[in-house]
Amino acid sequence: MKRRRAIQTLASAAAALPLLRVPLQADELTADQAFVLRDVAATVLPSAIGRRGQDEAVDNFLRWIRDYQEGVPLSHGYGEPRLVKSGPSPTPGYATQLAALQAAAKAKGGRFGALPIADRRALLDEAFKAADVRNLSGRPDGKHVVADLMSHYFRSSGANDLCYNARIGRNTYRAIRVTTVRPQPLGR
Amino acid sequence: MPVHESDVCVIGGGITAAMLIERLAELQPGLRITVIEAGRSIFDRENRGTYHRRALEYGEHPWHDDYIEDQQAKGMISMTMAVGGQALHWGGACNRFSEEDLRLKSMYGLSDDWPLEWNELERCYVEAERRLNVAGDPSPYPEDRRSGPYPQQAMPLSYNLQVLKKWAEQSGLKFSPLPLSRNIDKPFGGRGACGLYDTCGDVCPTGARYSPDYTYQQLIAAKKVTLHDRMLVRKLVLAEGKDTIASAQGYHQDRPNEITEYRARMFVLASGQCWSPHVLLLSASSRFPNGLANRSGMVGRYMNGHKFISAQATIDEQTFPGQNMTHSLISREHFRCATDRPFVRHDTRVWESSAGKEPRLRGADGRLLLGDELLDEWRSRARKGSSVRLRAYYDSHPSAESRLTLDPAAKNRYGDPMPKIDRQLDAASQAREGATLAHVTELFERMARAGNGRLVSKPSNSTYWDHPAGGCRMGTDPSTSVCDSFGRTHDHENLFVIGAPTLPTGGVTNGTLTFVAVSLRSANRIAEVS
Repeated sequence: MKRRRAIQTLASAAAALPLLRVPLQADELTADQAFVLRDVAATVLPSAIGRRGQDEAVDNFLRWIRDYQEGVPLSHGYGEPRLVKSGPSPTPGYATQLAALQAAAKAKGGRFGALPIADRRALLDEAFKAADVRNLSGRPDGKHVVADLMSHYFRSSGANDLCYNARIGRNTYRAIRVTTVRPQPLGR
Repeated sequence: MPVHESDVCVIGGGITAAMLIERLAELQPGLRITVIEAGRSIFDRENRGTYHRRALEYGEHPWHDDYIEDQQAKGMISMTMAVGGQALHWGGACNRFSEEDLRLKSMYGLSDDWPLEWNELERCYVEAERRLNVAGDPSPYPEDRRSGPYPQQAMPLSYNLQVLKKWAEQSGLKFSPLPLSRNIDKPFGGRGACGLYDTCGDVCPTGARYSPDYTYQQLIAAKKVTLHDRMLVRKLVLAEGKDTIASAQGYHQDRPNEITEYRARMFVLASGQCWSPHVLLLSASSRFPNGLANRSGMVGRYMNGHKFISAQATIDEQTFPGQNMTHSLISREHFRCATDRPFVRHDTRVWESSAGKEPRLRGADGRLLLGDELLDEWRSRARKGSSVRLRAYYDSHPSAESRLTLDPAAKNRYGDPMPKIDRQLDAASQAREGATLAHVTELFERMARAGNGRLVSKPSNSTYWDHPAGGCRMGTDPSTSVCDSFGRTHDHENLFVIGAPTLPTGGVTNGTLTFVAVSLRSANRIAEVS
C-alpha cells in the first residue's frame, strides 16, 4: 500500500513538473497542489483553448497567486470613495480546498479528472456552496481556488475574445485604427 | 521657523494650479512661484505599466499613497491628495459648458448668472484645449460656435461607437465623439501617444491622457516653480493691521510640530472645491471671525456640481465590448432649453457596455456550468445584441444651504475639524426633479425604441453629485459672493481662488475644462497685478 502511494506521489510530481513553468515559493501552492489544479482545469476551462491553453491559464493563475500582495490599498472608487486594503494571501485557503477536493475525489473513486462529469460537478457544486461562491467574481476573491481559477480565466481579455470569436484585445496595447473596424475573427 | 519667500504662492498642486503656473511663467518670466501640496509627488511614470497591470489583475489602487488618511472630507468624491490631484486619474473628458450656463438667471429666472461674458470664456476654452491637447470634432449644433479649432481631430470612433452612434441618432439627437485630453497618434507635452489600454480613469501607461504630474516635472526642471510637497497649509495669516495676506502656514508630514512660513506678494488658493473653502474657514481670526474672504458668509456655500441619471439599454445591433470602453458619445441637444418650455437641461451620453454580458457560473436553472457549458451559455447571451450605457448629467442648482462646514466630529492629527459637504438643491431644482427624471426616462426610452431596443433598468438618479464645484463663488456683489470673475477675493486684494470653487453653478457636463479655462483667465489677471 505504502509502495503504491509512493509511486502515485512520484507519478503525480513527475507529471506536474514539466508543466510547472511558474517558479513557486515556499508559501505558495506545492507542485502536487498545482497538479491537482491542472487536473481540475481540464474540466472547468473551455476545451476550445486546448490542453496547452488550459495549462497557460493555470500558469497565469499561479503567477497571480505568487504576485499577490497583502495589505495593499485597493481602488478607492469614485463618488463614494473608501479605503479598502487587500486581504491576507489566499494561498493557505487554496491549499486546504485543493486537499479537500482531492480527498473528496478519492472518496468517489480516484483522481478528479477521471471521475464522471456528474460527480465532478457535484463535488464542485458542494465546494462552491460551502465557500459561498455564487457567481464568477470580477477577479479572484479568495473564496474558492477553483472558482478563482475560473474567474481569472473567464474574466480575461483572452476569454472575452474567445466568447465573441473576435480580436478585441480589451485592456491591451492596440493601435487605435484597429478598433475602428469590426474586429477580425480569431484564427485569422 | 523656516521661512520661504516668493512672488506668488500657490496652495494646491492639481490641474488648475499646473495650468495657472504654466501660464504665469510665460506671462511673467522670472516670477518666483512656489506651489505647496499637502500630498506627495508621484513622479514614477516608468512604473505605470506595472500599475496598470496590477490595477486590472488585483484591483489595486495605482497611485500609491496618494491620500492622507486623517485628511478626508465627508461628501468628497475622491480620496486623492497628491501632486496632480484628481486629474492623475480622470478620464480626460473636455466638454465645454454652454452660454446658457452663464445666463441662467437672465434667460430662465433661475439660480444666478456668472459675472463673465461667454465670448471671453470661449477664448479661454480655446487656450485650455490647446494646453491640454484636446481631441475633438466641431459640434453639429451651430450654437456651439468656436473661435478656434481643436488641436487634434477627435478620437476615432471604435467600431462599437460607430454602431451606437447610428443607433442613437435614430432618436433625432446628434451625437459627437466626446472631446478628450488625450494624445491620439503622436506624443505631446512630454507624454506618449495613446495605446488604447482603456484604463484612463485609473492609470494611463503611456501618459497619453493629460496628467498634471508631467507639467509639474517640466516646470520644476525649467526652474519655473518650486514645489513643496507633503506640506499641508492649515492657515493663511493676515498682515498686521491690513486685510492683505501675509503668509501661509505649512506643516510637513514628517515634521508635524514645525511651522514653515510661506511669504508672498500674491496667494492663490488652488485646492479644489473642498480644501479651498476649508482653509479659508480654518483661517478665522479676530478680524475675520467667520474665516478669511468670508465677510459675506458665502465661503462654503452654494456647493454645486450636478446630479445624473443613468440607465442600461439593450439593442439588436452586435457590438464587441472592450474596444474602447472609456470613450463615449455626447449629444448637446439638451444643453439648450427654449424659454417658453418647462426648464430641463442635460447632456446625453452613450458608452459601449458589457452589462448583462459577463460570464456566469450558473445557468438560468441554477445548474453549475463548467468549461464548455459556461462558454456556450456566455456566448448565447453575449452574441445576441448589445448592452448600452446611458447617462445624462442634468442642471442641479444649489441652494445657499448646499454647504461645506467644519465637522467637529472629525479632526486631523492637528485637531483641525475636517470638512463636511452636504449638497442641497435650491427650491426650483427640487421642484423639477420628478419632471427631469421623467424627461430623461422618456428620452432614453425613445432612443432605445428607435433601435428596436429597450431599457433593462429603470433610469435612476445618482446618489452623489459629480464634477463638484462651488464653495467660493464668483460674483460682482461682495455681499453675495466670495470673489470676482478672476477669482480675486473681495476681502483680500492679494488672495485669489481659482478653478472649481469659483463656479456659481456646475453646468450639465464634465467640469474640468471649465475649471482650467477660468483658471487661465485668473492667471492673466494675476500676471497683471503681480
